[in-house]
Amino acid sequence: MNAAEIQIKNVSMVYPVNNGEDILALTDVNFDIQEGEFISLLGPSGCGKTTLLRIIADLLQPTSGSVSIRGQSPRDIRMQQKYGIVFQSPVLYDWRTVRRNICMPMEIMGIPKKERTTRITRMLELVGLQDFGYKYPFELSGGMQQRVGIARALALNPEFLLMDEPFSALDEFTREKLNEDLLSIWSKTKKTVIFVTHNIPESVFLSDRVVVLSPHPGRISAIVDINLPRPRENSIRETSEFYEYVTKIRRSFEGV
Amino acid sequence: MAIAKKEQRVVAIVWVIGIIVVWELAAFLLKYVVHDPMAATKLPYPHAVAMTFLENWKMLLEAGAVTFSRAALGFALGTSVGILLAVFMSLSKTMERIAFPYLIVSQMIPVLGLAPIIFNIVRDMNVSRVVIAAYITFFPVSVNMLSGLKSVEQDKKDLLFSIAANKFKVYQKLMFPFAMSYLFTGLKIAAPMAVTASILVDMLGSKSGIGVKILYALYSNSSNIFWASVLTSAFMGIISFYIVVFAERLCLPWQNTTPGKEGVRA
Repeated sequence: MNAAEIQIKNVSMVYPVNNGEDILALTDVNFDIQEGEFISLLGPSGCGKTTLLRIIADLLQPTSGSVSIRGQSPRDIRMQQKYGIVFQSPVLYDWRTVRRNICMPMEIMGIPKKERTTRITRMLELVGLQDFGYKYPFELSGGMQQRVGIARALALNPEFLLMDEPFSALDEFTREKLNEDLLSIWSKTKKTVIFVTHNIPESVFLSDRVVVLSPHPGRISAIVDINLPRPRENSIRETSEFYEYVTKIRRSFEGV
Repeated sequence: MAIAKKEQRVVAIVWVIGIIVVWELAAFLLKYVVHDPMAATKLPYPHAVAMTFLENWKMLLEAGAVTFSRAALGFALGTSVGILLAVFMSLSKTMERIAFPYLIVSQMIPVLGLAPIIFNIVRDMNVSRVVIAAYITFFPVSVNMLSGLKSVEQDKKDLLFSIAANKFKVYQKLMFPFAMSYLFTGLKIAAPMAVTASILVDMLGSKSGIGVKILYALYSNSSNIFWASVLTSAFMGIISFYIVVFAERLCLPWQNTTPGKEGVRA
């Protein structure tokens, strides 16, 4: 195995609170992520999973410890525009149509117009929204909006795809459908994905490895390898192996 | 939608007719029941005012155009200054803390007192009109624009931050488009105010403009002209408002259609 692509070393994060009792969001988090790996950060709310993602994305600075990505800092990687981020809410720009929403980051990155148009069309097909390119965000359902957000991140062809509970606001059916879609997209691009979720089956279905975090203070309680065969389809959720992984992870929470 | 629009029109028509009828009736009562000798001045018949308006429309229109064009110029100037101030204040908290008290104080000075001062400085009626209209305009524009710039959600900014967008791009692609609807709210408040300010300056010794007509009519006791001029002024205010509304429709097409609460189902 090569040297890890992302190395997270002794990362701690403290949020100062006025009454003096600072909140320990993360204490001494250590793990590595390999190139092309699909990693889930799983845990209940308050376990610091989003904080950890934001530290990797350079949206937050850790109180102590460091994140090193290909030997560089998250800031360097951000300045090289190698991140694609999908947030919990779709974060669409109301005044732009679907196509122009996907276009926005590419405009900023200075990708030529012709290339932008090609990528937008391809991404819309990928997320199944080819008929909605000229609609405004308010004309779409929540699931469709979220898919626009994903298409926008993927259109950048990012080296690192960071997803912060992207499907948590969706119903179970839409979520499972999008899980499957996401895997088929990922299998074509093979980017490194860091996926934050509080849904155990979702993390098992998607990931190569699940990093289980527990709260108060936020720390890693287990890292579970998911050795289910790929490509995975939703029918895998009915297998006993899948069920065993889900149970194993659930038990690791009960132990806390 | 179609039914609602038709209903709206009916409501509007009934309102206009209602006001005219009540007005006619009130004028009649004042004259023949209360026997007020000043009835024609206090409340003339609306049809008499309308006749005066039709007879003098050219004069009123010319006077109105003088006032209105200066108001528009001042409005444009005030808007530019207002937007610029809002951008500066949004760039730094310190800047906002320094500038905002001045903005508030500026609104404490009565325009009635300020106008002669401005006129004494610039010695030109047209420039005074423009300056006062701009002075009135910049505050609501600035405050609303600032509020818009500060209301941009953190996620939207983070997304651009994550691809290392510079400040200029962030303003160009995110902050300005987002703040547009707030800006238009400010413009809608400011437009009729700019017209009023311009009329006010007319009254301080100008030779032309609708305000002058109002003043002369008041002195010469020609109440019908007075009322016709006041109506013209009111129309100018209303028109200025709807010009902004129209501009908003053109500039913000995504706000035209009322969004369905649930949107289209996937």
